[in-house]
Amino acid sequence: MAKVLVVDDAAFMRVRACKVLQDNGHDVFQAENGVEAVRQYAEHRPDAVLLDITMPEMDGLEALKEIRRMDPSARVAMVTAMGQQAIVMEALRAGAKDFVLKPFQPDRVLGAVQKLLAA
Amino acid sequence: MRAEIINPFLQAASEVLEAELGAAPLRGPIGLQRSAYTSDEVTAVVAVTGEVAGMVLFAMAEPTARAIVSKMMGQEFPEMDALAQSGIAEIGNVITGRAAVLLSDAGFPSDLAPPMLLVGRGTMISTLDVQRLVIPMDTEFGRIEVQVALKLTGAAARRAA
Repeated sequence: MAKVLVVDDAAFMRVRACKVLQDNGHDVFQAENGVEAVRQYAEHRPDAVLLDITMPEMDGLEALKEIRRMDPSARVAMVTAMGQQAIVMEALRAGAKDFVLKPFQPDRVLGAVQKLLAA
Repeated sequence: MRAEIINPFLQAASEVLEAELGAAPLRGPIGLQRSAYTSDEVTAVVAVTGEVAGMVLFAMAEPTARAIVSKMMGQEFPEMDALAQSGIAEIGNVITGRAAVLLSDAGFPSDLAPPMLLVGRGTMISTLDVQRLVIPMDTEFGRIEVQVALKLTGAAARRAA
């Protein structure tokens, strides 16, 4: 069992990812924007983060950089709509370990978390 | 409406609905409408800006909407509550986002506004002088009508002139 932070401004997608992870025994925290994600990361120090890219207040890329500044060993996978290749490449350069495409399948979410935990 | 604008929506809607619902939707005959749109029970609205601008509507009956989010979440939604509404809005967002990427690849860079949702039948939305392309998508959960009301703007409009 791992502590996983799920960050997405779309409530349905956030709850859906959390449900998949909780059903598989993980401890889950949620945030709905980048600012909240950084705060939750500092408070809970999760083992893995699923981070949406397009969000209000602070987007996923900026949140990734803040989290990695706080914890250079942070394990983060970006969640992105199909076709955001340029942003995904920037996120990978900024330290993201993986990415999950929307619409996502439960197996892909679990796979991403397992990959992060093994990193 | 030009094929370069229509095709990305056909492709995106088919891809995303198949991924989310587990089976490819069957596309019905495409129609073109000038009259105002009168809303179905649930309608997701996504505005598009850029060289292609306007809005895209995803209209469906409430039982269809609830069945779709139930399938996606793996749990029943007996009511069209806030979470179910978020799910339908997000489907519209993901389809339009995918289409926007395909539009950009075709030379029409465009961006999206956050999705909105109309709940309740009978609201009239006029797209004024922009025609609406109506694409019926039949799924095992019922019909989703994708309504595309977009026009070329800026450099794209000048190139087309």
